Amino acid sequence: MTCQRCHEEAAVHLTETVDGHRRELHLCVPCARDTGLTLPESPPKLGLDKVVQGLIVAHVGELVGELAELTCPDCGLRFMEYRTLGRLGCPADYQVFTRGLLPLLLRSQGATRHVGKAPRSPALPADRQRLRLRSDFRAAIALEDYEGAARLRDTLRLRSKDADR
Amino acid sequence: MNLDDLTRTSGEWLRGTGPESDIVMCSRIRLARNLNDFPFINRASRLERTEIESVVKGSLAGVEHDLSFLDVNHLSKLDRLFLVERQLISRELDNAEGPRGVAIAPHENVSIMINEEDHLRIQVMLSGLSLHEVWDRINRIDDQLEEKLSYAFSPTLGYLTACPTNVGTGIRVGVMLHLPALVQTKQIDKVFRALQKINLAVRGLYGEGTQAFGDFYQISNQQTLGKSEPELIRNLTEVVPQIIEYERKARQQLVNEKRQHLHDQVSRAYGVLKTAHTISSEETMHLLSSVRMGINLGLIDDLAIPTVNELFIHTQPAHLQKIQGSPLEVDERNVARASYLRSRLTNGKNLEDE
Repeated sequence: MTCQRCHEEAAVHLTETVDGHRRELHLCVPCARDTGLTLPESPPKLGLDKVVQGLIVAHVGELVGELAELTCPDCGLRFMEYRTLGRLGCPADYQVFTRGLLPLLLRSQGATRHVGKAPRSPALPADRQRLRLRSDFRAAIALEDYEGAARLRDTLRLRSKDADR
Repeated sequence: MNLDDLTRTSGEWLRGTGPESDIVMCSRIRLARNLNDFPFINRASRLERTEIESVVKGSLAGVEHDLSFLDVNHLSKLDRLFLVERQLISRELDNAEGPRGVAIAPHENVSIMINEEDHLRIQVMLSGLSLHEVWDRINRIDDQLEEKLSYAFSPTLGYLTACPTNVGTGIRVGVMLHLPALVQTKQIDKVFRALQKINLAVRGLYGEGTQAFGDFYQISNQQTLGKSEPELIRNLTEVVPQIIEYERKARQQLVNEKRQHLHDQVSRAYGVLKTAHTISSEETMHLLSSVRMGINLGLIDDLAIPTVNELFIHTQPAHLQKIQGSPLEVDERNVARASYLRSRLTNGKNLEDE
């Protein structure tokens, strides 16, 4: 089920009866918090992420501590979140987190440079602009700035693939 | 594409032809690709995943002939499992949520998953040891898609993927091997250790973390960065013949030293499969494995390899339920499986009194 306010997966399902009228609400967590609902502070979580993060800091040391707060401006992912989840958030992360990723690549892949196939045409700067616009759009939705979101969507449409050609 | 029709056919990769197909069930390559102007799947909103799906779907026209697109998000759990059993989608795509799909070529050699761990996971499979043909085909598909899509690519790090374990070439080159004699002669662990030393991964029939049912093992590269696609393919084409050789020697050893025992084992396996009235999936795989080896050693002569290959897949839970046309509990499945095996293995002779 999708959130009634944005299009994310709904995680909070509320049914209330006021004066005999039944009302159902289906919201994602950010929207639920926005509407002032007090959510339990993630009780099912065992705080494993924190434990893992602690272990990483303990074993990999200072550099990670320094890198940990590095955040991708395009997708909002922090380097420490990547270390916990094992997945990156967007293509730009490889640039933003280079310093942290290269030693990891060297260890797991034994290399830090691509050899092999490459696309025939180089990536367009417009792609990166669209990536940023999408991230701004998601942020606007999360902040309930629907006017801003609408503007961003129009800009995205103007800069769509078809408009490139 | 009608999924019910697929129950009457099987993928080309099961037809048991191609080089070394007595041991190499199939060769497979997959490429991980992402669009440059979208976040990776775990960061993408539902709306963005819908857009990614539609952008990729739009680029499929003209790539391969007659690709059929399946909207996985709207398939039942049974249909999704059916596709997993046929190796057309991954468990990850089955278990994911939200907009996602797969495009499949008519003979099931090609499948293109959308919104799995990466935006695109392109897969090509052929029967036998034919990695070069597989590479030619998947490379062509990748080129055609690239004409319409702009991939996330960095000149230094190559194709950018959600997980850095795939970055660079984004390639996984694998072969599925049938190694019953190495299992029986207890030499299989030695093979695994040797493969791990040279950085090759060993998995069961259904990929990561699955058991090696039916003595099938998938061997594939782990490194994706710092070596070109042809080099990574060469790593496998150099090693696989050695494993094949090793398995052949082990089979010969069984024939030379334990001929009666081996013949007995194969005949009993065939006998049980032809006559059982209830049988688990695990036992079926185990017995089919003996029968498959028996055919290849000339100990069974009235059964064809493609039939056995097909039975490995068609006796799995989702296939049985699709063939039967109704949901079945475990016990019912075991009965249905035995009945299906009897009907497929009696060569038209009716062994039943019914």
